[in-house]
Amino acid sequence: MRAKAKLKKGVVSVKAMFKNPMAGQEEAEKKKIKPQFITQIIAESAGAVVYEVTTGGFVSKNPLFKFQFKAADAKKGDKFEIATTTNDGKTVTKKVKIK
Amino acid sequence: MDRRKFLGVGIAAFAAIIAPTTSLKAMDFRAEKPKAWDAVDSATAIKELYGSAALTETADIKLKAPKLAENGGSIPINIKSKMDLESIAVFQDANPRSTVCVFTVPKNGIINYDLRMKMRKTSKVRVVAKGRDGVLYTVNQNVEVSIGGCGG
Repeated sequence: MRAKAKLKKGVVSVKAMFKNPMAGQEEAEKKKIKPQFITQIIAESAGAVVYEVTTGGFVSKNPLFKFQFKAADAKKGDKFEIATTTNDGKTVTKKVKIK
Repeated sequence: MDRRKFLGVGIAAFAAIIAPTTSLKAMDFRAEKPKAWDAVDSATAIKELYGSAALTETADIKLKAPKLAENGGSIPINIKSKMDLESIAVFQDANPRSTVCVFTVPKNGIINYDLRMKMRKTSKVRVVAKGRDGVLYTVNQNVEVSIGGCGG
């Protein structure tokens, strides 16, 4: 996963790209691979959930998500977390630095 | 305390935590509404996800999608709104199943979401949002796909 976060006037804008084939059931059959997709993406900053999306196999391959959240007391260099859960139940958490 | 009782207490406590679905805590729509993810058409998916309440067309949710998408494998979608919404879901009728993704909007959050989705053929992209007042809002746009994505 690659992510960029920029702080401007108390609002953090995030671009996050996830590496995943996002193959649902039908697509996996066609490509003869196992179904593999991200089911949930959660971003947490200062102990609160700031972004949350439940996804499925119809989000594009290596999906790019953009979102913004308010962080009035955030400074440059602060970190927040993005956690992704895949369909096999694995969760990966990554810390992202705010620039 | 025997095991059965202990489990029961655990489940009850878990339910008590889950029951008042505050926006602070994460909600897994896949676990909560599994049927919505299997629905073939958007009408059924919306019903499974949000119930059978009437949908209100609104101009306050801005859906930005290309009118003509050359590559059905990656269609950029942007959803913007200044309304106080609880959750937003994206549906289409081009793929084997209808639900694309469901956003949970945190309280006081900014609604400006970008994502990319797959579509096999030309279809309507429908966004349904549930406001904190309980009303279901909807907005849709037709997206023409020249080369289908989704492995097709």
